[in-house]
Amino acid sequence: MSAIQTDDLTKNFGSLCAVDGLTLEVNREIFGLLGPNGSGKTTTVLMLTTLLSQTKGSAGICGHDTVREPDRVRSCISYVPQDMAVDTNLTGRENVLIFARLYGVPNPKDRVDELLAVMGLSDRADDLAKTYSGGMRRRLELAEALVHEPEVIFLDEPTLGLDVGARKTIWDHIHALNRKGMTIFVTTHYMDEADQFCDRVGIIDHGKIAALGRPSELKARLMKDVITVVVDGDYSPIQIEGTLLIGRSGDEISFTAENGREALPVLADALSRAGNRVRAMSLREPSLDDVFLQSVGRQEEAQGFEEWRYRMMLRGRA
Amino acid sequence: MKGVLTYIHRDFVKWIRYRVGLVSALVLPAAWLLFVGLALPVQFTGNYLDFITPGILVMTILTTGISSGSLLMFDKILGYLNKFLAMPVPRESILVSKILFITVRGIIQTTIILIIAVLIGATILNPAQYGLTYLILFLFGVFISAFSTTVALYLDDHDSFAAFTAMVTMPLFFTSSALMPYDVMPGWLRAIARVNPLSFAIDAIREVGTGTIPVLSITMLALFAAVVVVISGHVFRKVTV
Ligand SMILES: Nc1ncnc2c1ncn2[C@@H]1O[C@H](COP(=O)(O)OP(=O)(O)O)[C@@H](O)[C@H]1O
Ligand SMILES: [Mg+2]
Repeated sequence: MSAIQTDDLTKNFGSLCAVDGLTLEVNREIFGLLGPNGSGKTTTVLMLTTLLSQTKGSAGICGHDTVREPDRVRSCISYVPQDMAVDTNLTGRENVLIFARLYGVPNPKDRVDELLAVMGLSDRADDLAKTYSGGMRRRLELAEALVHEPEVIFLDEPTLGLDVGARKTIWDHIHALNRKGMTIFVTTHYMDEADQFCDRVGIIDHGKIAALGRPSELKARLMKDVITVVVDGDYSPIQIEGTLLIGRSGDEISFTAENGREALPVLADALSRAGNRVRAMSLREPSLDDVFLQSVGRQEEAQGFEEWRYRMMLRGRA
Repeated sequence: MKGVLTYIHRDFVKWIRYRVGLVSALVLPAAWLLFVGLALPVQFTGNYLDFITPGILVMTILTTGISSGSLLMFDKILGYLNKFLAMPVPRESILVSKILFITVRGIIQTTIILIIAVLIGATILNPAQYGLTYLILFLFGVFISAFSTTVALYLDDHDSFAAFTAMVTMPLFFTSSALMPYDVMPGWLRAIARVNPLSFAIDAIREVGTGTIPVLSITMLALFAAVVVVISGHVFRKVTV
């Protein structure tokens, strides 16, 4: 029995296909669903957490169907939405206590103390949550999600809007939970995080899985080195043996080659001969960004930002 | 049931911690009572304070109830609702808790008005009469809060909801029997006031004051409340699939 299993999971909003035939199996690992804004990550998570019904296909969590046995599913999962929903006019302790009571855990007060300690919030537990930093709010939400010791935990963009240090802390906690046997399903549009912290990733674009596997495997499908070129003006395409175009992102064009140091001068030469004005070139190892670029093409501008700002503004009023 | 109580507790603590809201919720109706009941130089009936108090009580339930749909709407917009819906707690407990919290909060406010009314010269009723008054206010509160919550679930954005609230409150109040008896109203107003649900509750409380038990009105209010609660439950289930 898998922690998460989906079969042809599909969601249409009118004529828009937000999630398109997702077939996936996740087990006792940190699985990262990776994709730009609007690619269908949240929609997928909502279906898996019984918050949205699918148009087609099925999903099972710990052997229970999300549509036929939603209550069974809800008992073995936790869901932390991307909105950072903590009651800011309640203290940290009060926030977690609500969840302990709702889940009906025995000795809720002790359980809350224990979790606040795990998340490093004990000394601030009785301050109002509105005085917490973004990272602390996220840790508070993790504490809430852990009160009933779920088998599977869903985190939608857990590091969105956090600074580097806070992100690292959140990922450390995620790792610790996974070591205790929990399955973690996490979405993010930060490729570097997924690369570093996920056991396996699925790259999703326009609702479809474009690549699936361990980050190291996915990167190994590219050649050993990546050369990034910045050109002024239009780019005239070139074709040379031994180097392969990965794709374009803005004014950057990326190529992959077996031996980057040798390919670099050849490439520079070929580019100028084709009439390109090369402004800069750099050589590095492949990253998940490159895998993404190759599997789905040009990376789009983030668009979810304004909505995020709007929610943050509203939060002050609630 | 445990879920309902936990949700109510959450809203209650948030309410009393939000000082400005708390103070205005308690002071505003009291100010109304003092102003309309004592300062207004009109005298339609013998003890105008006894006449006006039921109107202010029902208006208080109306104003606090009608805007309270925003409680569930904010929970939804800000993501709390999804967190709660992903838990193995019966989902309807959220809706039930909101309706009960809003109603009980209104009852607390009306209690303050009842006390002030007595202090400034309203007739003291017997315990059974107060009991009936509370019953009527409770039923009307459930009716209004379920109605407001249903509209909020439909509208789904706070600007249109604020517009809805403003649009409903004042007209309902001024076309009810709150401020003057039917026999001094112009004909057109009387016709509207007779079918205004607000008048229904106000008239019932006035009847209680004169010593009769308005069985029909109470039954009707209970029926209205039940119908709106059922509709509300239906909309809630539809919105949360
Ligand atoms: N309730 C909805 N109604 C209509 N379209 C929606 C709804 N929710 C999401 N979408 C659309 O579905 C697509 C995927 O959205 P989402 O799953 O939120 O993406 P992500 O979480 O990856 O940013 C987007 O194009 C979005 O506009
Ligand atoms: Mg999303």
